[in-house]
Amino acid sequence: MYRLSPSRRLFLICNYIVLSGLSVICLLPLINILAISFSSSGPAIANLVKFWPVEFTFSSYKFIMHKQEFLTAMVVTLKRFSLGTIISMVLTLLAAYALSKEESAFKGRTLYAWIFMLTILFNGGLIPWYIAINQTGMLDTIWALVIPNAVQVFNVILLLNFFRGLPKELEEAAFIDGASHLTTLIRVFIPVSAPALATITLFTIVYHWNSWFDGLLLMNSPAHYPLQSYLQTVTTVRDLTLVSSQSLNDLKDVSDRTSKSAQLFLGALPILFAYPFLQRYFIKGIVLGSVKE
Amino acid sequence: MKTSNKGFLVIALMLCIVLVTACSSNNKNNNSNSTMPTSTATAEATQTAEATKSAAPEEIDPLGKYDTPIEISTARGITGSMKFPAGDTIDNNVWTRSYLEDMGIKVKNDWTADESTFEQKMNVSIASGNLPDLLPVKAVQLKQLVDANMVEDLTDVWNKYASPLTKQIFTEEGNIALDSATFGGKLMAIPAVSGSFDASTLLWVRSDWLKKLNLPEPKTIDDVVKIADAFTNQDPDGNGKKDTIGLELQKELYERNSGYAGIDGFMFGFHAYPRFWIKDASGNLVNGSIQPEVKAALLKLQEMYKAGLIDKEFGSKDTNKAAEAQGAGKNGLSYGHMWNPLFPFNASRDNDPKADWTAYPIVSVDEKPAMPGITQSINDFTAVKKGYANPEAAVKMLNLYIERNYGKSNTLETRQKYAKTPDGIEVFKFAVIRAGSSKQNLNVHLSVTEALKSKDTSKLDPAQKDTYDLVTKYLNGTGTSAEWAQDRIFGETGSYKAMNEYANKKLDFYNEFYGTPTATMAAKQTTLEKMEYEVFTKIIMGDSIDSFDKFVADWKKVGGDEITKEVNEWYKNK
Amino acid sequence: MLRNTRMRQLPLHLMLLPALVILVIYSYYPMAGAVIAFQNFTPAKGIFRSEWIGFDNFNYVANLPDTLRVVWNTVFIALMKIIANLVLPIIMALLLNEVINNRFKRIVQTMIYLPHFLSWVILSGVLIDILSPSTGIVNHFLSLLGIEPIYFLGNNDWFPFVLVASDVWKEFGFNTIIYLAALTSINPSLYEAAVVDGASRWKQTLHVTLSGMLPIVILLMTLSLGNVLNAGFDQIFNLYNPQVYESGDIIDTLVYRLGFVSAQFGVATAVGLFKSVVSLILISASYFLAYRLANYRIF
Repeated sequence: MYRLSPSRRLFLICNYIVLSGLSVICLLPLINILAISFSSSGPAIANLVKFWPVEFTFSSYKFIMHKQEFLTAMVVTLKRFSLGTIISMVLTLLAAYALSKEESAFKGRTLYAWIFMLTILFNGGLIPWYIAINQTGMLDTIWALVIPNAVQVFNVILLLNFFRGLPKELEEAAFIDGASHLTTLIRVFIPVSAPALATITLFTIVYHWNSWFDGLLLMNSPAHYPLQSYLQTVTTVRDLTLVSSQSLNDLKDVSDRTSKSAQLFLGALPILFAYPFLQRYFIKGIVLGSVKE
Repeated sequence: MKTSNKGFLVIALMLCIVLVTACSSNNKNNNSNSTMPTSTATAEATQTAEATKSAAPEEIDPLGKYDTPIEISTARGITGSMKFPAGDTIDNNVWTRSYLEDMGIKVKNDWTADESTFEQKMNVSIASGNLPDLLPVKAVQLKQLVDANMVEDLTDVWNKYASPLTKQIFTEEGNIALDSATFGGKLMAIPAVSGSFDASTLLWVRSDWLKKLNLPEPKTIDDVVKIADAFTNQDPDGNGKKDTIGLELQKELYERNSGYAGIDGFMFGFHAYPRFWIKDASGNLVNGSIQPEVKAALLKLQEMYKAGLIDKEFGSKDTNKAAEAQGAGKNGLSYGHMWNPLFPFNASRDNDPKADWTAYPIVSVDEKPAMPGITQSINDFTAVKKGYANPEAAVKMLNLYIERNYGKSNTLETRQKYAKTPDGIEVFKFAVIRAGSSKQNLNVHLSVTEALKSKDTSKLDPAQKDTYDLVTKYLNGTGTSAEWAQDRIFGETGSYKAMNEYANKKLDFYNEFYGTPTATMAAKQTTLEKMEYEVFTKIIMGDSIDSFDKFVADWKKVGGDEITKEVNEWYKNK
Repeated sequence: MLRNTRMRQLPLHLMLLPALVILVIYSYYPMAGAVIAFQNFTPAKGIFRSEWIGFDNFNYVANLPDTLRVVWNTVFIALMKIIANLVLPIIMALLLNEVINNRFKRIVQTMIYLPHFLSWVILSGVLIDILSPSTGIVNHFLSLLGIEPIYFLGNNDWFPFVLVASDVWKEFGFNTIIYLAALTSINPSLYEAAVVDGASRWKQTLHVTLSGMLPIVILLMTLSLGNVLNAGFDQIFNLYNPQVYESGDIIDTLVYRLGFVSAQFGVATAVGLFKSVVSLILISASYFLAYRLANYRIF
């Protein structure tokens, strides 16, 4: 064990303090929102809720979850995000591998790279995009949510850069052994790219989990909405049609603020769990030393 | 863009109150309270006469059934809070079944979308050529469809098939509703009438504070200033701290979009009508924002702001944020709509059971009575696709809805089947075309008040009885803030008491322009509005009042003059 | 040998094929729709029947009295955000890299990534509270230091900085993830070599860590140039108000308000097209510069 120099020690102490402070600053608003989601509407409207619920109630959650649609939407989301993540990851890996080659080894890769890149920069807007999805017959099916957006160009470009950072020796060794491109990708590249893959998987999962607008626009019936789209329908338009002689009590407990907060929580919770799970790939560096010999 | 919910909220709230109570009605009241201007009444009479004339030989039954069922496709907007009885869906419910059984109309939903994205979904559907037969559209979309010659002319169908009751409800507030769907003399869609009367601005005051500080009820603008001063400086909540504010405002300035905490009512008190098109002495239309009355009102607001009588930070608060102070019991004065006790005042009642709010008619700065301004722009229409074989089906479905809610068939049984089930599910929302009567809520107030006095509930219709029970519950001291809110709206001293005063004294001031945006308006309006927001906000917060004159000059230069010209052309040709 | 290379290249083309097909159908085909920038487009008439009006939509936006101000605001806010969102996450990743305790590291990482999931609708409410001149905690601290309260959200000098700071706060945790991944791919033997050479901790950071991250940093820097005309619609829309129109109104909020009066698809598309062209110029310039000067391909 090294002895730490005083300046190093001071740095570490400061570092811990700064990081702890930042974490707290990032956590507080979330606690505030959690507290609001369990409060009743009166104190929430009056902004009296800080970090602990006032007039504790589950009604916002009940309001959101009591419906059949919640479960249906949950199933659609699970389908969407498992299908979407798998399709997207396969396409991304294949494309990034090919594009990570030098121009000398893969004639045309630069042209291809720009063809990919341009799609980030230009788009034709909502209407032509909708028409394209309509013409390929995907409207109102789960495929509309996973195929048109399957190639996340930002992820492809990120991954191809990670691939290029890998030592050339790895690839050469594989080719000498007579491995094909596909084998090299699967046997050599993927195992040593855990942090990069974890990052891109995370981005893909977050993307699929959080998207709501395409669900609302591309599905023709609410039964096909994924969870985030459904949650939007519950809270985006604060529906004061609730206000009638008998359903008035709904309004009291489900103010805009409380149900929006509950929506946020229900929507973000699963994805918050995904991160710590993927995180172990960020902690340990990969050991490539063996290749160097 | 998911952020444009505020306008929606207001419309939704108003519609709902109209419609909920609309699920019942008595015609007699409707007629007696109708404040129809005479000129339009004549117009309506002529129209009805024509209709009867042309209708007579063909024996048209507005509620008649097709012998062989016809099919009509449409698109539906839904919201997350819509509830369905077990087994029912938006595609199959009491209304769709009834359309088929009673009228021989089979309704098929091509698609269903959430209200928040409905307009966009309609746009992409129109663009990709998948139009349903029956098209629920916004004003802009209607104009585009008319321009592209894609919707059916409904003039004849309307004249022949609309029932007398339907026609009566559609002309309750004059011909403006039908006019706004009329292009080149042809009725191209059915407008969604809901009653703009209900959006009249009121002055809301914390009445328990008023009593506590021994202040008189507000009669003039001076009283408002005095009350604001007392609420700011005399510690109305009695906590020994100077932590209350007088008048609440919010960053959008006007409450016509948000329903709460606007300057509109204050402006109306100065006979100023910003963003209205008003008739000047020579009979031409001029824009209200640039009139000297606005300057006077702004000057007063500036004085109040300087004296600390207005929320110091209103400039960065949206409606929800502005509502916080009253919820926390720190504010007791605001201009808003009749439904404010349901939102946001329920919060102050929740947090302080002593809190009480009372609505007053807006007050004037001089002897001339203050007139609440009413903007009558209808944004929702139902059109019929060009070439659809049975366009009259749309009118017939509307007749059915109106008959069940306002006609002779409005009984407890009908109500429970087609409007609101005994367990509180609002099935009236499933009807494909709906309409609301503008004086519906006022009638609830009048009947309920009457019944409270006489203790005789036999004359109340089912919906009125609901309200009566809630108000009674509050009066017996067993209600929550929900029942309290009902009392503050429909009860004896509820907001409709003030609204009734508007109706009786014919206090209303209409925006004279209700067409689709003119060419220059489409191009320049946003620039002008931004300028107005910026200048008015800054003046209230202390900028020199001279900047108002500069604003007027800029306004004219940047396109205002041109818009004025176009609006006057429209006015002459309408 | 030549034949051999070609044989080895075919699978690479095939590997790209599925992604290309999807891009062609769902990106390039709809891209043709951008022609509505030159039309007086309405959905009812569609692309084929709408009237062609040349550059009218562009001229219209260019001639609005606010345009210059708005473009300046957009570029100013966007550039500051680009820089801050590039530099701070790198520093964050380096600081995290120094942490020895893995559990602490993980907790910090998770917590700083939370704000990414909050929407601006909700955050704006929180920000109005903490920045309030009368009751906000920030001004409370300032008053302890003897500084007069500042109306951050109503003051044109401060407003752009509030936008940048709050945006960084929301996104820095999420942006850090990429750099952390880059850090973990640095070959540990490089550090060992540096220690053997007697390099100080600081020198190691500079020469090994930072240079190892360089390709990713350059990549993200180049890509972020594409955002020089995107100053963040959701955030500004929820925070701006008439007092700060002068410093806070951006292209996207302007277009949004234009759309309110009458749905102007053509105008919105024209603005979008303009933004795309600017991004393309900036990104390709940096791409070719890097290639010419350093013989380095960014992507």
